[in-house]
Amino acid sequence: MEINTEREGTLLVARAGGRLDSINAREFDDALKSAISDSDQVLIMDLEKVSYVSSAGLRVILLTAKTLQQRSAKLLICSLAEPIREVFEISGFDKIIPIHANLGEAKASIG
Amino acid sequence: MLSLCLESRLDELQRLEAAVENLGEQEQWPPNLLYQAKLVLEEVIVNIVNYGYEQREGYKIDVDLISEPDTLTIKIADDGRAFDPLSQAPTPDVDANLEDRPIGGLGVYLVQTLMDEAHYRREQDRNHLTLIKRRDG
Repeated sequence: MEINTEREGTLLVARAGGRLDSINAREFDDALKSAISDSDQVLIMDLEKVSYVSSAGLRVILLTAKTLQQRSAKLLICSLAEPIREVFEISGFDKIIPIHANLGEAKASIG
Repeated sequence: MLSLCLESRLDELQRLEAAVENLGEQEQWPPNLLYQAKLVLEEVIVNIVNYGYEQREGYKIDVDLISEPDTLTIKIADDGRAFDPLSQAPTPDVDANLEDRPIGGLGVYLVQTLMDEAHYRREQDRNHLTLIKRRDG
């Protein structure tokens, strides 16, 4: 599980790839934890290259959102493939995590 | 039609996924149906391995997929402890705000929401779960 990250001030963009499933959820979690630093105020998770997310992947995303919220930082998500967006909507994640069509829109929303 | 007998280990999901992709290709499933089939199979099998068999290896899980023009039927059978995921798993509060939102419980909920029908029965010391998805577009 590889995550490419890019930091712009207090914004961290993390691009994941492949599958976020029960086989590699722990790896995904570890990769995120080591990528995020305490000074990051906004994390944009770019899932354009992710082809599949199951509940195990959703669990990691929810945990990350909660951890960030505890120190008043924010998680945004962008670039979901259609079936993944459906899974996010069924799970109600679109109500608790801002979801944007692409990275540009996600960045623009931060202001 | 696909029949597979899986070992009670999570890495068997890779073998299952490859077989399901093959079937989807043969039967010309739309991409959403393939995604949904893979997802519900993962969720159910993870539950069986983790809770039904309590992560003990050496047990079997039978998986059958019957692809017809108007429906996809998925049957999963195991001889783990009696467990009806449909009635025993708590329904997650998908309207809770981020702070109050509990972790977990989404797997079975996704299965029930994505499939049109889900039936469980315990028969001859085996759990049988049948999932039906109508292919209405």
